Parts: sequence; structure tokens; C-alpha cells
Amino acid sequence: MKLHPLSIPYRAASRGLSAGLMLFFVGRSLGDAEALPVPMAGPALVTLAAVGVVGAAAWQVAYYRRFEYRLTGDGLEIASGVVSRRNREIPLGRIQNVDISRNVIQRALGVAVLDIETAGGGATEASLRYVGYDEAKRVQREIQRLKRGAEDAESGTEPDERADPEERGTVLFELQSGELLLLSALSFDFRYLSLLAFGPAALPFVPGVAELAFLGGMLLVALLVVALWVLSAGMTFARYYDFRLTRLGDELRYERGLLQRYDGSIPLGKVQALTLDANVLMRRFGYATLAVETAGYGPGQAPSGGSEAAVPLATRERVLRLAREVEDFEVPAFSRPPERARTRYAVRYALVLAGLAAVLFALQAVVGPPAPIPFPLAVVPLAFLLVVPVAAHLKWRNRGYAVGEDHVLTRNGFWTRTTKVVPYYRVQTVIQSATVFQRRRRLASVVVDTASSAGGVAAAVDVDAETARELRETVGEKLQASLAARRGEADRESDLDSSRRD
Amino acid sequence: MEVLNPRVRLAWGVGAVVTAVIVGVLAAVVSRFTLGPGVTVGLAVALGALALGLVFAVLRYRTWRFEVRDDDLYLERGVLTRVNTVVPFVRVQHVDTQRGPVERALGLASVVVYTAGSRGADVSIPGLTPERADDLQEQLRRLAIESERETDAV
Repeated sequence: MKLHPLSIPYRAASRGLSAGLMLFFVGRSLGDAEALPVPMAGPALVTLAAVGVVGAAAWQVAYYRRFEYRLTGDGLEIASGVVSRRNREIPLGRIQNVDISRNVIQRALGVAVLDIETAGGGATEASLRYVGYDEAKRVQREIQRLKRGAEDAESGTEPDERADPEERGTVLFELQSGELLLLSALSFDFRYLSLLAFGPAALPFVPGVAELAFLGGMLLVALLVVALWVLSAGMTFARYYDFRLTRLGDELRYERGLLQRYDGSIPLGKVQALTLDANVLMRRFGYATLAVETAGYGPGQAPSGGSEAAVPLATRERVLRLAREVEDFEVPAFSRPPERARTRYAVRYALVLAGLAAVLFALQAVVGPPAPIPFPLAVVPLAFLLVVPVAAHLKWRNRGYAVGEDHVLTRNGFWTRTTKVVPYYRVQTVIQSATVFQRRRRLASVVVDTASSAGGVAAAVDVDAETARELRETVGEKLQASLAARRGEADRESDLDSSRRD
Repeated sequence: MEVLNPRVRLAWGVGAVVTAVIVGVLAAVVSRFTLGPGVTVGLAVALGALALGLVFAVLRYRTWRFEVRDDDLYLERGVLTRVNTVVPFVRVQHVDTQRGPVERALGLASVVVYTAGSRGADVSIPGLTPERADDLQEQLRRLAIESERETDAV
């Protein structure tokens, strides 16, 4: 199969524009240096830019002609490359996610990006840019069908016995517009606050009384925070607009997005872990979010990013119910770290504040003009010492771990409380570590690692050293037990199949 | 529990010397342009770094131990941060042996175990004799294959 013909003009336009612009600016800066035999001005510059555009377009035509893909019973084969050729085959069983995305222009043209994720490597395994939207959907459906066919062939059942997957799709979750608005309002990402670092640059320089500038500064910061909140809400709104999660046989399908539309599939058999998140506001109103983690990546995500295939917001009960559809787990009682961990946090925060105060004090003593406020600046961090016990308590309260029948659960974080659910049979390694400071208080952390690439591992932080040792061994044993159980199940099933055939 | 070959201290010692030299040269250059005296400061910093590195090498050797258990490989190590790792054989993707120039000169080898985990994806055991490294590699490979009855490892 070839890519969509419209991919030539689309790629040529986007790549050609950047190539042309680059050549234009390179030419202009070189022209100033008078290093070239031909003076770079007016027509010569335009010609150079045009060469870039035409060159890029020609390259796209060649790329299109040389790009071919084929879906076979074993997997997806892709032959590509203009100068150096590359043939690649992705086995069906290794495919983790199949994602389709379309931005506004691509939607108007009726084309889409098809991304195939596998567990290996640091990036998307294969990306078809661009195929027709219908073709993308066909490939996505076909991969699931072939996969099931391969499994059926292995276990000996006839593929025809199964109903058409299109009819069996059940909608698990739809985001109502009210929920979307609420989600946008509640999901302030604190990372946006880092944009405030650019605040001073945006500050208009007002000559005047220092006190006024201080007040004005505070006002401006407040305004900026509100603006960031609106920005964050807008981004969330566009991201999760018209979100819908369906279950199609043994796959989850999701659709979402206003400007850029995403449409992806996650095989349930590939789920590595579940993540339930709730920030302070969400917890206050009884809401939570759910992310399903696989070893592939979510669409439009850097390798370290989180899974997009999730329930963006629902009431806690609904999220739990949905999570149980994906992974049947019970929620055992969480054990908190021992109270000496809380003391540790308090000491840590106090030390940080003291250090900050010392730095401010030193700065003011060495270079500082008198502060625009009637007391030394170093007092500000010290004032926060009052809330240290509260902060330490909150941090301690929100930590914990729980050992269930088939899953291990960990919980961390106050501002955003993250609960991770890891099935034992997905555990890759178990790492127990204790820093010098932890050892002083007989504490240790246990990290339960899976092959999930969504970022953020399940960690039981600051548990008692002896408990940590037990947890480490328990998780290892439970992994072996669950593997044995799965083997037994597989054996029974194949026995059943063979007896049915007899 | 198995401990490493004592010669690994020498290998780490060589590493400490190299680091000390680099740090010393850097310190000398920086101090030459800021404080004035170059060589003395550089030498002092290098000696300090070397002493630290050697102490670390000794302590590191003392804390390093590992064990091939029934179902998994278990490692204990770490001077400042104590780390205990459990690597189940089922999760082993492949096993390498490695021999760097220093290790070759000292007659040592390392075994590196790869898993599909997102963190600590490779676990390496340094300071083994080449025979022990080959044995361990073979043993881990065999155990990994024996326990590999699942079709879906990831």
C-alpha cells in the first residue's frame, strides 16, 4: 500500500516552507558577510528560497514513491527510504498501541498520522505520514483482527466463532460537557508556574516608588497566575474535548481532542499498570483521573510522558469501577510510613527554608540595597517554618502502600496524589534502596518496576527498613506465584481445547 | 551470598585515579584564572579526590554482594545509598559479559543483565573472574530460558 497522495502536497508545504525559510535566512546572513561570489540580495535570495521549496517538494515526491507498507498475517511490513533503503517488519504480537491523530488541516484534507508503538526503543516504532483516515481506521481494525486470529489459531478455536468486533464495542466512558468544563477548571498543572520565571521580562518597567512596584508586582503575579490557569484550562479543554472510551473485545479504544483529534487502541493484555491521579481540588470534590499504562507511548508524547489513554475525569467511584474493568483489583487498606518518616520531612523542609533564608540574608548583606518592605527579606522563608509541621504531616499522610491478592498498590503525593496499581505478573525488577539519611532512621524505599514507559514508577517510599525487606521478598514471591497460576490456567485451557476438538 | 573478586578494588582505584586527574586539571585551570595559584590548588584537589575515590572503592567492595537464588538474581550494593535489587529470571531479556581495558589487564569481567523494566534496565555485576562471568552468564541464560514459558514477556 502507498501513502495517501495528498501527503505529498501536505508534507511539501510544511517541510518546503521551513527549508525555504532556512535557506532565505542563511543566505541573508551570509550576504552581509560578503563571503559569497554572488551578492545575496533581492532576487538571488528569493531564488535561493525557491530552490529550497522546490527541492523539498521533489524530495517528498520521491519519498512518496519509495514508501510502501503492507499488513500481512505476521505483522506490518514497511519499505521506505529514498537514498538508503530500509525494510522493517513489526511482528503482530509485539504491537502495543495503534494511534491515529489528525490536526485541523489534516482533518480538512482527510488524512491522518498512524503511529505504531512497540515496547522497545525510545520512540514510536513506525509512523505512517500520512494515510487516508479511513485507511488508518482499517489498519487499526485489521491489526486487532489479525492479532486475534493469530491467538485463535494458537489455541485452536475457529476465528469465525467470534462476533464482528465492530458490533461488540461497548462504550465504557464518555466525558460529559459539564465534566469537561470541570476538568478544565480543576486540572491546573503546577508545571505552568515555571512560566512565571518569564514574568519579570513581561513586567513593564515602571519608574516610581519601590513600595508601589512591590504591590504592583504582587498584583501582576496574581494576574499571571490567573492567566496561566485560564491557559491550562484551555489546553485541557482542547485535549479532552469529546472524549470517549470504548471496549472492543480485548482492546480499549479512545477518541479525544478538539484541534488535534486522537484515536488510539490499547490491547488489554498489554496493560502494565494503572495510575489513579487526583490533585487537591479534585480530591476535595470527589473526582479522580485514570491512566492505563502500556510499554508503548501515548500519542504526541515524549518518551517520558504519561499515558493519554485514560479517563480524564470522573467521580472516584466511577474511576474505580472503570479501573476494575481493565484490571480486576481490590483496594486493601494502605499502610502509612512510620511516624519517624514524618519527622524526616519536617527536618528536611526546615533545613531548606533555613538555607534559603541564609542565602537571602547573605545576598542582602553583600549586594542588596534595602528591601522595599519594612523587614529583612530573609524573614520571609523563616515565616514559612510555621507551616512546616502541616506540610510534613500532609506528605506523610498521602504516602503508603498496600499488598493485595494479585496487585501491589502504592500512593504518593499531596498536591497530586498518585495511586499506582501494579499486577504482580507485570513486575520486572524490585529495587529496595536506602540513602544515608533514610538509614539513620531505619527507613527504606521499595520501587516496583514494570515495563511501562509512561514515566513514574510505583514506589513505597520511606517504609520501615524491615517492612521494606519483607515487601521486596513478597512482591518477588507473588510474581512467581502469579506466573505459576497463569501457566496452570493456560495449560487447563489448552487441555480443554484439545478435549473439545476430540 | 557471593562477594566480588578483591581485584575489582584495583579496577575502581584506576577509575578513581583517572577521575582525580581530570578533576585536578579542571580545578587547576579554574583556580589559575580566578585565584591565581594553579598547580598547588589543582594538586590538592586531585589528592583529595583520589583519597575519596580510594576510600569509596574499598567501601564499595565491602558492600557489594550477590546471590543466584531459586527464582531470581539478588544483589546488594551501595555505599551512601544502599540498593538491593531482585531480578526474576523470567524477566531477563539477555545477558552480556563485558571486559574493559582495565578489567582485561586485571583479569576481570562484568556480567550485564538486561530486563524490559523502565528503570535500572540493566543490572551489572562487576569484578568477576572471566570463568565465573562466563559461568554466570550461562547459568542466567539457562534459568531465563527455563522459566520462559510465557509467550508475552512484556
